[in-house]
Order: sequence, then structure tokens, then C-alpha cells
Amino acid sequence: MSTVSALPGHRRHTGPGWGNTVVGIVILAVLLFPLYWMINVSLQPSGSAVGTPWLPLHLSFHGYSTAIGQQGRNLATSLIVALGSVVFSLLIAAPAAYALAQLKVRFANVVLFAILISQMIPGIVIANALYTAYNDLGLLNSIPGLILADSTAGIPFAILIVRAFMTNIPQSVIEAGRVDGAGHVRAFISIVLPMSRNALITAALFTFLFAWADFLFALTLTTTENVRPVTLGLYTYIGTYVNDWSSVMATAVLASIPAIVLLVVAQRYVAAGTTSGAVK
Amino acid sequence: MIRSTRSVRAQAVLASMLALPLALSACGGSGGNSGSSSDGTTTLRVLDYYNNDPGKTVWQKAIEACGQEAGVKISREAVPGASLIQKVLQQASSRTLPDVLMLDNPDLQQIAQTGALTPLDTFGINADGFAKGVVDASTYQGKLYGLQPVTNTIGLFYNKDMLAKVGVTPPQTWDELRTAAKKLTSGSTYGLAFSAPANYEGTWQFLPFMWSNGGDEKNIATPQTAQALQLWVDLMVTDKSVSKSALNWTQADVNDQFKAGKAAMMVNGPWQFPVLDADKSLHYAVVKIPAPAAGKPIVAPLGGETWTVPQTGNKDKQAKAAKIVSCLNSDQNQISLGQQNQTIPTKTALLGKFASSNPNMKGFTDQIPTARARTGELGADWPKAATKIYTAFQAALTGQATPTKALEQAQNG
Amino acid sequence: MAEYRHLSETAPSGSPPRGAGTVQRPAPAPAVPPGESSPRVRRWESYRTRERLAQLLFLVPAVIYMVAFFGFPVVKNFLMAFQKYSTTTFYTGEAPWIGLGNYRAVVSSSVFDKALVNTILFTVGSIAGQFVIGLALAVFFRRRFPLNGLLRSLLLLPWLIPLIVSGAVWRWILDKDNGALNRFLAATHIATGHPGWLTSTSLALVAVMMVNIWIGIPFNVTILYGGLQDIPEELYEAASLDGASGWQRFRYVTWPMLRPVVSVVLVLGVVYTIKVLDVILGLTNGGPANASQTIATQSYHLSFQQFDFGQGAALGNILIAISLLFAIIYLRANRRAVDE
Repeated sequence: MSTVSALPGHRRHTGPGWGNTVVGIVILAVLLFPLYWMINVSLQPSGSAVGTPWLPLHLSFHGYSTAIGQQGRNLATSLIVALGSVVFSLLIAAPAAYALAQLKVRFANVVLFAILISQMIPGIVIANALYTAYNDLGLLNSIPGLILADSTAGIPFAILIVRAFMTNIPQSVIEAGRVDGAGHVRAFISIVLPMSRNALITAALFTFLFAWADFLFALTLTTTENVRPVTLGLYTYIGTYVNDWSSVMATAVLASIPAIVLLVVAQRYVAAGTTSGAVK
Repeated sequence: MIRSTRSVRAQAVLASMLALPLALSACGGSGGNSGSSSDGTTTLRVLDYYNNDPGKTVWQKAIEACGQEAGVKISREAVPGASLIQKVLQQASSRTLPDVLMLDNPDLQQIAQTGALTPLDTFGINADGFAKGVVDASTYQGKLYGLQPVTNTIGLFYNKDMLAKVGVTPPQTWDELRTAAKKLTSGSTYGLAFSAPANYEGTWQFLPFMWSNGGDEKNIATPQTAQALQLWVDLMVTDKSVSKSALNWTQADVNDQFKAGKAAMMVNGPWQFPVLDADKSLHYAVVKIPAPAAGKPIVAPLGGETWTVPQTGNKDKQAKAAKIVSCLNSDQNQISLGQQNQTIPTKTALLGKFASSNPNMKGFTDQIPTARARTGELGADWPKAATKIYTAFQAALTGQATPTKALEQAQNG
Repeated sequence: MAEYRHLSETAPSGSPPRGAGTVQRPAPAPAVPPGESSPRVRRWESYRTRERLAQLLFLVPAVIYMVAFFGFPVVKNFLMAFQKYSTTTFYTGEAPWIGLGNYRAVVSSSVFDKALVNTILFTVGSIAGQFVIGLALAVFFRRRFPLNGLLRSLLLLPWLIPLIVSGAVWRWILDKDNGALNRFLAATHIATGHPGWLTSTSLALVAVMMVNIWIGIPFNVTILYGGLQDIPEELYEAASLDGASGWQRFRYVTWPMLRPVVSVVLVLGVVYTIKVLDVILGLTNGGPANASQTIATQSYHLSFQQFDFGQGAALGNILIAISLLFAIIYLRANRRAVDE
């Protein structure tokens, strides 16, 4: 009935397209099978995966009760650090990306290569250097400290991605704004940023994910349990001798829920053809 | 031209900015001080890796009790096991080592080599009455740097019901082990499970077989070691009584297999008792790891962690820290820690009267007097030898080379 | 790189060939009629100065951050490879200079050749898999259907799960005897032999690659989807008005507009994949018998298990050199393609 062609740009808005939804769900089911397995194991009474049946028929919530009881604070810490890192990274990266993409910056290539090289450094080298510096500055066990550290993954990445998107913004639009009397900052805020919405949201998504999934800085830059992201909090159940996998899995599942809500909300704003209309 | 001058200036600014972090790091830190609380009691920092319960609480109580005895407050940091060395190195370079540092016993040699630890004889502490292997691990260049209160080793667990069904007695020699494992392998159950991954855990599991047969880590390309490796190859490749998955199993995975009934026997340690005891339908017992032939002695590896006193530059604190180390190693603490943590005291006099709540502990306790430290012979060079060992058995078990060839290739790099 | 200079001077890197009236070359700077009197010229030059200043101000926060957080580690990492750096160095700070000694030791070790080959195979295989599947999924999600947004977001779940957890789960799924994958393959009679995914020397690298592709798909899908969304509708309409077929629309509209995003995804993908460590360590420890040992895992082993940080850093620098080489070659080739 509704023959939606396979390539972009040929959309006909005929009918809801539930066929595609089914395909989408199947694809997701295959790709997310390990997550299902994770939930399955977390609900098993034995907490081990040997000979686990396909469905958890005998439910055991001991892992979840432990996780809820002990990891709430760590979850909040993770969220605050991740969101803080997003805000901080975008504040620094967006103008830099704009400068590198649109303005005639001479050593743009040098800067870009420097950024690329920074992504190639093993994290442990950065962590070791930061530990010494933070210790002297008294930034250990602090949320701002973690935000700054986690941005080492977010800022270079955000600059590169946002810049790549921004190269598609036609100069004419910006020049038109400048000719109308807008200064650089005004042009940036009122013209460039709205047109780069997809870029900023994509960069924000991954900055959030990098900060959320960080374990190295969480381990290195904290020495007490006051400020402890959930990636480190997980290790309360992973010991040198024995592991409590149900609690580990339960914590991972529970921790993902608020994060996925945030991601769903953010992805809503990735809109189509944002550069259209502005040039007309 | 104006343009080029500007860009040259910009580049100069950039270069000087690069120098700034270098300069800052050169200033270096004097390191944080442990701090004193307002009422004048000193606080000592402790670092260990008992980061999950029940061990965490047990050690917390013991350390705090010792702290009280020494008249100090305790600020303890418990990190995940694999990250301890990383933390120690970070703290060493910023001169912020803790006052009391726990180390996995094979790592002590590396850390002592750096000069970061204080020899314990400075505080009048000696290791008289401790098992020889335990003392060897904590001794570097003739000086004692650490004291280890409890230890563990590995033995052969077996499923009593499965053995009874097939009519097999717990094996005591290698030949008996092979026969028993073969008989016990049927359907989806393997006769034996051990852990043979490409890391130091695999080496740890191979050592009792290697050492009991006369093999030595100084040179693994010997016929004795080759025979030990041949046993493993026979069990896994020829008889198929051990699953190939063992090449990727941790000791925890091996325990899961045994618990689920997928393996009739396993090589593992006493820390698994609580997990196994939780399943009431599982009836198991422990014997020593089989010897190469009847009557030959068995040499098992020594596990456990040792407690050290790093050089913090504060003589008072170091003295107090030494008191804590000494207190943790008292007779009373050794027995209580052993009982609560499923480990074994290290003072030979206590071994006789140490009765764990689990009767199976006897199989392990008997091996301690003759047990051997991994770093006993090679000291700080142990990691290289350990790597060679697991490289060799991985090559042999995957069929890349015969045991003799595999050991030769690994030994000669 | 020449490509970036090219981009900063002109419009988007690829202009659609037909009916593309909406994309223009930039308006020239305010005209300075030649031969005007000097006040005009002076104002022009001060305008350029202010332009300059503005550009630099936009960049300054980022440069400060990068220098502060990366400056010292980059230099230290580079130098460490030329020193004898052991655990003692951490405490005493002494690191005797041994020039190329670490590099020689590392390259002549018996594991190096295997690790190098594995690294290349692993990277090429992972990127190819991730990118192709990612692009296909991004194109698929462009269609409008219910729950599109929700499904796209759920696709990011693998990144929310800590690696230690997904590593453990994959180890269970890929277990030879009881793993879900082998049970499924046996039940559907696709492969009844229970292959040893993580324990067979021929399959270990493939298994590790599969898991890495699984982890990389969300990254590729999300970024490519964002890039696809940025392509203006009018271009497609204009192209189809001109009679272009589906494939031609993709080739002449989608691909050129997507190219800068694709470049970033591929180059970053290679940079990230080449240093992948936790996935391989969590699954196989580089085994069995070095079948899945890459330069990154070998570097970790040398540094943190054999405590020879100098050699570990040497391998790390070799990795950086490979990444840089790839980036340079790829960007040069890309620029040449754009110029054609």
C-alpha cells in the first residue's frame, strides 16, 4: 500500500508505516540481545550464567534490592558529572568548532591535528598526570574536578564533530547576518547555533555517554566514597575473590534507566533539514 | 609584512603556553598530609583491595581495632583489586603513599625495589614463627618489608555424589587424576575443571603441577615442567575431560561450572566456600592437588596479601603504622581473620589448632608449611617468568606446539 | 591539512551539480575599490584585525583547556618511550635515557608481528562492519514511522552499560559449551559443532571484532543520522525533479553533503578502534596463545603486568604513529577526491 522507497528524500506521508516499526523492533531485538541476557541473569536466583534458561522463570530480586539500597547516591553523582560535562564541553567546543569551520583561521589544520593526536593518547597517561595536579590543587573527590576531567573525552570529540557539521552551513547566511550589523558573537548565537542544532545534540549525546561510562577518572580522582560515580560504585560487588553478579547487573540496569530517558528526550530534537528555509 | 609578524607572535604565544603545564608539574607537590583531627589524634591512611563484602567489613573492624590499640584514627581506602598497583604508582609519584599499604604478596618485590617501603626491622618487627614461603614473599634483598597475616592456596574440590555414582575415589596421583577425570566425563559434564587463561591467574593454577614435579621458574624448558604441561594437554586435548573453555575461565567461572554440576572436580581455593555452601544440594569435599606419583611431596603456591609500611617521611606515623601491621599479625587476629575470611593463618604454631567452621579447610591447611612463594626465587623478575609460563601452556593447549617446544619457545622469548 | 584550508575559504565541500541554486559561494568581503585613499585602506586593515581577534577569542578557551589537560601527558607519553621507565621511576623520578632501546626491544619481540597483523585486521574489520551497518541503519531510520525516535535512542543502550558488565555478558554468550550463541546455532542447525569463539585461535579475533562492531554501531548510526538530517530537503526535491533515480540521489546529493561527517566518523573510528583495550582484555586477555593480542593490549601488558612502562609507551607511540599516518593519508585522498 504505502510504498515508501528505500532511499532518503522519497518519503510519502501515506499511513503510519507500522511495517517499518516492526523491522526496527526486530533489528533492535537482535542488537540488544546481550542486554536482554544481562537482565535475564540479574533475575536468576543463582546469579551465574552457567546453564541459564532463556527466560527467567524463577525470579529473584535480591540484586535489585541491593542496588537500589546502595547505589542511589552514586547514580546521582554520575548524572550530575555527566550533565555538567556536557554543558562545559559544549560551551568550550562550539565556539572553537565554529572558528575552525567558518572563519579563516590560519593554523586551523595544526589545531585540528593536535586535537586528533589528543584522542590517540592512552587514558592512563592523562589520568596519572591529572592525579598529581589535582592532588596539589585539592580537586580530588570533587564533582567539578570530575567534570573537568571527563571533558577530556568530550571536548576534542565535540570540536571535531560540530566542526564537521558546521562546514555545511553556507557562508552566505552568516555574511548576511554580519552585513546586517550583527557582531561575531551575536551572529554565532542567533544564526550559527540554531542551524547547528543537530550537531550540538549529537555532540552532547556522546559527551554525556563518554562521561557516563568513564571509569578511569572515577577511579583515579576519588579516594573516598563521597563522590563516587556509579561505574566505580559497581565494584562494590566485584571483589578480588568473589563477585556478586546479580547486584552488578541490577545496578547496571537501574543506572541505565534515567540515562536512557535523557537520551530519548534529546534525540527528539534531532530535526530534519535545519539548513533549509534559512537560505530561502 | 604585518600578517606574518602576527602569526609568528601567535605561534610564540602558543609555544609558551605549552611550557606552562610542564613548568607547573616540575614544581611538583609536597604531597597531601594525612592530617590530624581537631582533638589531636593522628589519622593514619590505609590502602587495600578488600573492596566488597564480606571481606570489606571484616577487615574494617580488624584495622579499626588495631588503630584504637595504637591510639590513632583510621582513614581507609579500599579499591578494586586490579587497580591497586595503578593507585600505588600514582601515589608514589606524587609522594602521597598511605601510611599502611596492603599488597598482593607477589607485588611486594616490585614495590620494595623502588625504595618506597620501610624495612620492618626498623621497628623491631620480625617474622619468627611464620611459614617459610610467606616470609620469602615479603623479603627483598634479605630485609623484611611486609608481614602477611593470612594466606590461601589451591586444592582439588570434588563432588561427592558424582564420584560415588561412578565408583571413583578422590585421586591422589596424576595417573589417578587422569583416570578419574575420564570416568567422570559424560554427557554435558566434564570430569575436571581448572583455570588456564592467558594471565597470571592461569600461571597460579599451573604452579602446583609444575613445582610438585620438580619444575622451576628460573628455566621452564626442562623435562619436569614438560611433564606437568603434558598432564594438562592429556586432560584437555587427548582425554577431553577438561573443557576447552578453560582457556578463558577465571577461577570464579570454574567455580560456577562446578556448582552447576558441569564439572565433577575442580582446582580452586577456600574463598569459594561461602558460594558453594549456599547451595545445600551440593555435597563437596577437598583433597590436596594430586602428586606426580605416590609419596612425592606436593608444593602449592601461596596466596594472600601482605601489609607494609611505606616511607612517608613522618617517623611517628611510620612507627604507629608498624604497630598496626604488627597488631594485624597477632595470633588472635590471624585466627579470627582466617575464620571470617576463609583463609589460613601464617604462623606455623597456629596451624595445628586452627579449626575453620568448614571441615574442608584441612585439605588446605596441611599444604601451608611446604607451600612456596611465587617470588621466592626470582624476586622482582617474577612477572617475566609468569608470562612465559602462561604463554607456554596456552600454546601447548591450543595445539600450536608440543609441550617441550612450547616451553622452549616461551623460555627463549 | 590542505582540505581544511579549502573548506574555510569556500562553501561546503561538495556542491550538488544540478538545480542547486540555494547553495552559494560566500559573499566576498566588503569591497575595497582599488586605488581608494588611505583612510579606506586603514579601516579595512583594522577591520581585519578585529576579525582576527574575534577568531582567536572563539578558539582561546578550547586551546587553554587542551594545553592544560593534554599538553603535559602528550609530551610525557612521547618521552617515556625513550627512557628506561620502571616502577622505581614512579617513586624516585629517575628514568635513564636509552634512546631507541625500547623500540628495538618491542619490535624484535616474538609477539610484535602477530600483534601488528591482528591490530590491522581488527581495525579494518571493525570499522568496515560498524560503518556499513551504521550507515544502513541511519538511512533506515530516516523513514518516518511510529516509535522511530524511541528505537533510535534505545540503540545507544550498549554505551550506557559499563564495559566490565558487557564484557562479562558477552563472555557468557560466547561460551563454548553453554553460551547462548552456540545454543542458538545448534538449535537452528546452523553450526552444530559448538565452535570455541573465545578459545579457538582461529576464531578469537573474529569474536572480538564482532563484539567491537556491536559496540561501534550506535556511534556510527547516531552521528551519520544527524548528518543525514542536516541535508536540506530541497536538494532531494530538486534532484528528483531533474529525474535522478534513488541511487543517483544518494551518490550526488547525500554522499557529497555527508562527506565531512563521514570523514570525521571514519578517522575518529580508526583512532578509537586502534586503541581498544578493555573489550579485548575482558573477553580473551589477548589469548588464546596471542590470537587476539593487539598492539594496544600488548602495550598494556608490558606496562601494567611486566612493569616495563618504557616499552609499553614505545608500543603506544607506534600506535599513535599508525593513527596519524592513516589520518594524513585518508585526508589527503579525500581532498583529492573533492577537488576532482
